[in-house]
Amino acid sequence: MQTFFIVLGVILLIVVFMYNSLISKTNQVENIFAGLDAVLKKRYDLIPNLIASVKEYMVHERETLEKITTLRTQALQTNLHSHEKIALDKELSSILGGLMVAVENYPTLKANENFLHLQGTLHEIEEQISAARRAYNQSVTDYNNAIEMFPSNVMAGFMKLRRKEVFNIPSQERQNVDVKNLFQK
Amino acid sequence: MKKRASIVDYYYESMYPELEVLEQDRLVIVSKLKKAAFFLFCCAIIAYLLLHQNFHMEFLEAFMLSFGSTFMLFMFVYRHESAGYSMLFKDHVIEKIIHFLDPSLIYQKHRYLLENVYQKSELFIEAYDRYRGSDLVEGLIEGVGVQFCDLHVEKKYRTKNGKEEWKDIFSGLFFVADFNKHFQTNVVVLPDHAERILGVVGSWLQSMNIGRGELIKLDDALFEKYFVVYGEDPIESRYILTHALMEKIVQLRQKSGKNIYLSFVDSKIYIAIEYNKALFEPILWKSLLKFSYIKEYVELLSMMIGIVKHFKLDEKLWSKR
Repeated sequence: MQTFFIVLGVILLIVVFMYNSLISKTNQVENIFAGLDAVLKKRYDLIPNLIASVKEYMVHERETLEKITTLRTQALQTNLHSHEKIALDKELSSILGGLMVAVENYPTLKANENFLHLQGTLHEIEEQISAARRAYNQSVTDYNNAIEMFPSNVMAGFMKLRRKEVFNIPSQERQNVDVKNLFQK
Repeated sequence: MKKRASIVDYYYESMYPELEVLEQDRLVIVSKLKKAAFFLFCCAIIAYLLLHQNFHMEFLEAFMLSFGSTFMLFMFVYRHESAGYSMLFKDHVIEKIIHFLDPSLIYQKHRYLLENVYQKSELFIEAYDRYRGSDLVEGLIEGVGVQFCDLHVEKKYRTKNGKEEWKDIFSGLFFVADFNKHFQTNVVVLPDHAERILGVVGSWLQSMNIGRGELIKLDDALFEKYFVVYGEDPIESRYILTHALMEKIVQLRQKSGKNIYLSFVDSKIYIAIEYNKALFEPILWKSLLKFSYIKEYVELLSMMIGIVKHFKLDEKLWSKR
């Protein structure tokens, strides 16, 4: 009888530990996503200034600029799910990346001090976003591992926890950032 | 960084005439030491025979007493004779190499980094009893404020027999420079011994490290193989440790072949490279007139001065300009 209670106690402890661990991992994902959301918002706040300073120079990129504005409006909606935010961020990052390449064709814009400042700030925010994406991916990987590995997957099943999506880190983020080139006039 | 060919030219053109004079001093000291060694060896034999035969001491006791005490005497003579040479070596070799690599740097052979710099780095949180150092190099490299020196930090402890001994907490090169990004939280990068030896159990133990912050798992397999990272904020830790920087840290680890400790505190980067010897001291038995010997010092100093370019610390982000 005593052995039975000891075994029961140990099982109970394991169950409590697994439950707490899963809750902690879920919270970690949410916390880091909130951090990511904050830096994404910093970028969204920067976009109107960026558009305002480039639109008179970049006359051939009107369509791209309109697309960026639309994406920003969509992203600032409050009822978006995390996977929708991830998709919007991915699209916006790609278009902004393209826009910065297109800047090369506008020498007068590249000489504009205000634009250079915005470009520098945007680059810094991009670095923060990249860091937040990586932190988010790691927390999601830990979470996904926990809900898929035995025996915590049984507990995750009871808690109705579902697998979460990770960001695809763009290959250019893995390359060395050449700040000198970025700021060359 | 200046190329090897030009250091060879510099060695033969600017350093060699002075080194020839210093080499004469070295040869005189070596000759004195050889004579002292021979004389003391003879004394040790006589002392051993006296102790063993006249005072009827055991073989081991007599041997230890005679040879041990003469060895101590020799070390005293060695230190006394080589002290002056060591200072001249630093003036004519170390300082010259540093000024060749970067003339703006200031070299002070007797000075070292202040204790508060060491403490602020948070690299070694163990309490220490002795803090010593030498060979401080400081100045601006590509506009980045840099300081590094040879540092030796020790802790006193008692053995089981009650004997007092010193244990190294850190011995090697300690480097501090301005980092090219602003950050609010601290990040510490330490050599990963536990995970390499114990695998998953080691990783679990690392996460339990109470003295440090949160364990940060990074997305670079090679970096993770060499290092373990503790930080206060998972996002900011990754903001500091970008893929590019992790790659550079791994390269420095592989190039030096030594344990490397790094920390990022108050917008500064601290790097400690572990060596178990005094790095800027001369080896009395090696000739100064051979470039291969001088080359070792050149490579070490180039590596340290090159850290700014290697880690691109001069490429500051917009807000730090």
